[in-house]
Parts: sequence; C-alpha cells; structure tokens
Amino acid sequence: MIWSEDYFVNREDVRLYVYRKRASAPQAGEATKPVLVLVHGSTVSGRNTYDLQVPGSTDYSVMDYFAARGYDVWTVDHEGYGRSSWSGRGNSDVKTGARDLAAVIPFVLQKTGATQINLFGSSSGALRACLYTAANPGTVARLGLSALVYTGAGSPTLEQRRKKLPEYSASPRRKVDLAFYEGMFNRDKPGSSDDAVPKAIAAAELPLVSEVPTGTYVDMCANLPLATPESIPCPTLVIRGEFDGIAAEPDLLDFFTRLPSKNKQFVVLSGIAHNPMMGVVRNKFHYALDTFLHAPL
Amino acid sequence: MTAVQWTGGKEHWTRKGDIRLFLWQKPASAKVAPAGTILFVHGSSMASQPTFDLHVPGRPHSSVMDWFAERGFDTWCMDNEGYGRSDKHRPINFDISNGADDLAAGSEYILKTTGTQQLLVYGISSGALKAALFAERHPERVAKLALDAFVWTGEGSPTLAERKKKLPEFLARNSRPIDRAFVHSIFNRDHPGCADEATKDAFADAILTLDKAMPTGTYVDMCSRLPLVDPARVTAATLVMRGEFDGIASLDDLLNFFKRLPSTSKQFSIMQGISHASFQQKNYLMVYHILHSFFTQPEPSYRG
Repeated sequence: MIWSEDYFVNREDVRLYVYRKRASAPQAGEATKPVLVLVHGSTVSGRNTYDLQVPGSTDYSVMDYFAARGYDVWTVDHEGYGRSSWSGRGNSDVKTGARDLAAVIPFVLQKTGATQINLFGSSSGALRACLYTAANPGTVARLGLSALVYTGAGSPTLEQRRKKLPEYSASPRRKVDLAFYEGMFNRDKPGSSDDAVPKAIAAAELPLVSEVPTGTYVDMCANLPLATPESIPCPTLVIRGEFDGIAAEPDLLDFFTRLPSKNKQFVVLSGIAHNPMMGVVRNKFHYALDTFLHAPL
Repeated sequence: MTAVQWTGGKEHWTRKGDIRLFLWQKPASAKVAPAGTILFVHGSSMASQPTFDLHVPGRPHSSVMDWFAERGFDTWCMDNEGYGRSDKHRPINFDISNGADDLAAGSEYILKTTGTQQLLVYGISSGALKAALFAERHPERVAKLALDAFVWTGEGSPTLAERKKKLPEFLARNSRPIDRAFVHSIFNRDHPGCADEATKDAFADAILTLDKAMPTGTYVDMCSRLPLVDPARVTAATLVMRGEFDGIASLDDLLNFFKRLPSTSKQFSIMQGISHASFQQKNYLMVYHILHSFFTQPEPSYRG
C-alpha cells in the first residue's frame, strides 16, 4: 500500500494544493529518497493527472509507479486548478505556474531533506518546468519533458486552438466537461487511449471544478517561445509521442539541439499521442522516464 | 606487448562464399530470463573481440558482452573480412558495403544457429555504417538498431576533415599499418582524458594481438563516399548515440539523419564525457545503461 499525504503551500494569497506519495511513511533518521516532482498541463489538475484512478485498471498512477520504485513523488495543483485556490487575478499562465513551483519546491526540499529534485512536466507543464529550471537551476538534478512545444511552428493542435484565441484571451477561465476531456484524447489519434480515461478524469475533476484557467492556452497560441533551452543546464529528456499534434518534430529537435547539457536524450515513443501517461501504451512512457531518471551520470 | 587470449565464450565460423568469417559468442546467463540476441559490429581499426570483450584488471564489467550476457542477452560479435581472425587474403580494401555483406552472412548463421527471429544490432563508428547498411538491406532481420559514433554525410566532421588529408595514401593501398601509438591517438584526438591509460593499453594489446595492419576501405568510404546510408530506408527502431566530444560527425549531420528515420520508435542520446570509442572510456557504464534501456524498452501493444 502506497503512503500518501497532502498539504497546502501559500504563494502570496493563493493556497496551492500539494500531494505526495511514497512507498512508506517517512521515518526519522532515514536516508533521503530521490524526489520526483510532477507538473500538470493546461486542463487536468496535478493529482488527477498523475494519480489517476481508472476503474478496472491499476497502473495509471504515475505517482504509484515511481513511489513503488523508491521515489518520493510530489505534484501540485496550479493556481485555479483542482484543489488549489484562484486569486481572481490573471489567468494562471505559464509564468504564474513557474512561480507556483518556486513556492512549492522549497517546501518539498524542506520536507524531504533533499537538496535537488527530479522534475517532470507534460504539455504546458513541460513549459512551466522549463521556466522553473531556468530560474532555479541549482535545485533541478534532471528534467523530463513530454508533449513539449517550443516555438509552435508546424503544430496542428495549436493551429486549431488559435481559432479560439479571442475567446481565451477575453476570459481568465474556460469551461470543462466530459466532452472536452474526450476531445483531448481523440484529437490526435482515436484509439491511442482507452475510453475509460476521460470518464475517470471527469469523475475526479468535475466535483472540483467546472472551469480551468485560460493562461496556458493563450501562451501556447500567442506567446511562444516561452522556454529558453539555452538556460536549462541539467540532464534533460525530451519525450515525443508518435501521434502528438502539439508540436512538430523539427521544432522539438531545434529545442533539443539548443540544450547545453551534454547529457540529454530525445525519445520518440510509438503508439503514444499527447498524454503519454494515460495512453494504451503508458508502460513505454513509464519505462522511458524511469530509465532516464536512474541512468548513471 | 602482452598477447591477449579470449576465454569464456564460444568460437563460430561461417562462410561468405569462399571467405571464412569468425564469430564470437558469449551466451546469455541461464540465471535470468532470455532478453534477446545482440550482434555487436566493430569499427575501422580494431577487430571485434578487442572492442566488445575487453578485459582490464580492476575495471568492473569491462566486457560489454559479459555485461549484457549477465542480463539475459545472447551476445555475438564477428570479425569483418580483413580483420582479426577472419580471412584477409583477397586483394581488396574491405569497405563498408563489403562489411555489410559480412553481416548478412554472419546474421544468417546466428539466426540459424540460435533459432531466433530477429537481432538487436549495435554498431560503432564505421561499424555503425555497416550495421545501418545491413539494416537497409535486411530489415526483416533487425528488431532494433543502435548506431554509436555514427556519421551520415560527414559534413562538419573535424575527424574526417583531418583524415581526408591522407586520402591519397589510403586510396593507394588496401591496408594501413597500426601500432600502439595509433590506438592511443583514437582516444586523444578529440578530448584527452575520456579514457584511462590502463584501458587504452589493454585495448592496444588486444587489437595488436590480432592485427598489425588494418584495411583502408572504411576510411576511404568515410572520407570520400558519404552518405552511404539512406535513413528513409532504415525502418527498424533506431537509437543514435553521440559522444559529447566525438569529432567523427557534427551534431547537425546526425540530427538530419535522425529526422529522416521513418521509425516512430527512435531515440537520440548525447553521452556526457564520451568521445569516439565509448565502451573503452571512463563513462562506459553510462553507455551500457543507455543501450540496455533502448534494447529493453517495451514493444507497443498499440500501433495506431
């Protein structure tokens, strides 16, 4: 049985929900476990992305996967998402998300006794993770990115999303419902995830929210590039799902080339679309991240 | 010089027409589940056993064949024609295409002997070119392909720019003499310090035990005939392994190759602290991990 605990950390007047899982409860005097912080994307909160419980399946939880392998695993619901509060100011954009991380990660370090974390982000969570790492390079040992977009050149998903940019720009919040979640999983490659997944997300998310912030959508439609790969010094993994429409492969290879680290990997995973941890072949994602995190340096 | 003897494996011989080719097998450990069959392909200036079954006192897991065999892989390497124990008598320069022909013969023997359906193929330097060309010619035999210290067009390669100065010399003869200083130069040309002296010495002993001269064909190919591989025709899942300091190819050249690979299961890894001969360098265990991770990555149950 995996041990878990939840916390709230304040960034100014925003209460950020923080969730933690480990194989067992912390014991006084024990050795520090490697820490993994998981950063969610534009639509689904942290806990419901990385600890998703899907009826009839037991292996969707990324937190459980890594907790069982000895990691101290954390995630945060960004401002306006899930169990976190919303200040009523702004639209919780990518930069705000990076500030959320800057508030939460010192708390994680203090609770765990670690001096550095492993950081993983998916989609706009990858952008938040990049911005955080660039601003706080000393605290990130390794950085994993999936469903990243750099400049957005050649992205079919963003081309579609831009059609609604005026709407997203006009309001700090946008509606979410089961149909929206189903669209997330069907836009790239229907069949690459189980139909039960968006239903499980709806069951977990909709009791918490009916709207989520628009900031990361606006950023990805209008403000790219946001990440500066030249400012990310740590070993970095870039995961690209075969069917992911959020970015074109040349755009990501351009990002990869600019990373100054001499320890970096670019992995294309077949059978995977935009949400690798929720796909039919999520085991390939688990494997790719796991092997990167424990590779000898 | 210390003459090296190899033990703990099994010798095999096969034929490519009239040519006898030597293969060396280190079978999978019986203590773990079978994980696949690997064929390791050597480069321009050394035979197979010195590269893949090198033992150095005080260097744990020095033999990459042993390391993978302990993890359930049936491991094989072979001397290309003109190298090591394989026939060397034909008056040709044993170029990359000829080496890919050797791999066709060797792989046919391995598949027949072991009963396995497909191979995991790793090649280094011109061995990567041979392996990729073999994968183009025989896609049905290659489950996964790992290309270490690879070069595609050669554009922007500092090593090849230097090597081209001697192209007339390489063109004039089918073989080139090597000695201990030459083996050391492999490690010192890009970034001295990536390998320790004991390993360089042991590597030189092993190479010179088998060969005093090396064919010129792969050098001529890499200096004057690139590109030899068409990435669009390499269909296997592919890993490109690039040493941080490797001068054999520019990063752009390799990324251009990578972009053209049609496989939707592919990986590009930059290896820190590595120059050109990764298994003989200080960070060799990191290289093993990258290769092992690729070879053991789960097959997708969903392919779209």
